[in-house]
Amino acid sequence: MSSQPDPLPMISSEPEPVPVPSDEPNPIREAIAQAIEEHRVILFMKGTPDAPACGFSARTVAVLQALDAPFAAVDVLPDARIRQELSAISDWPTIPQLFVAGELIGGCDIVVEMYESGELAQALL
Amino acid sequence: MSDAAHIKQRIEAAIPGSHAEVEDYTGGGDHFRATVTATAFQGLSRIEQHRLVYGVLGADIGGAIHALALKTQTPSKTP
Repeated sequence: MSSQPDPLPMISSEPEPVPVPSDEPNPIREAIAQAIEEHRVILFMKGTPDAPACGFSARTVAVLQALDAPFAAVDVLPDARIRQELSAISDWPTIPQLFVAGELIGGCDIVVEMYESGELAQALL
Repeated sequence: MSDAAHIKQRIEAAIPGSHAEVEDYTGGGDHFRATVTATAFQGLSRIEQHRLVYGVLGADIGGAIHALALKTQTPSKTP
């Protein structure tokens, strides 16, 4: 049996991958993370609690108001990067997003389900 | 291109043993309501269940699919 030449070491002619800069300052992401940390209940929504710009955001606000829950709100519409960075942090693609004590509780469907089952009132205590 | 039948097919193909009911509730081909029942959801939080479905649809969420009202459940919870 003739010995095969050792395939290693490999010398790649492929270009080196360009490293993704992960340590670049990202003020929007930092501001979002800080807001989530500083407010026990915070809702990222389209529009404002007084003038929601989407039915899903409106329903989520209505449920929080029905429970008399104080909450901070951030409108994601003025800058598309807010939404991008938020979704990158939360691994959640849609708006609204409700956070309690730094944790993503859910979007409209989950929040409404939890309201109906009484779990939301518990989570907001 | 997304329609209710196509979304149903994608979810059911990607999540083994799942059953999806998908409705185009505006008739406009971009706002959908889905109820997904799957044994794969067992032991997962609601957040994780929804992430699983969102993951199947990927960038279409917020793209071709403007809105997806989602309800997830395990078969045991089905009445």
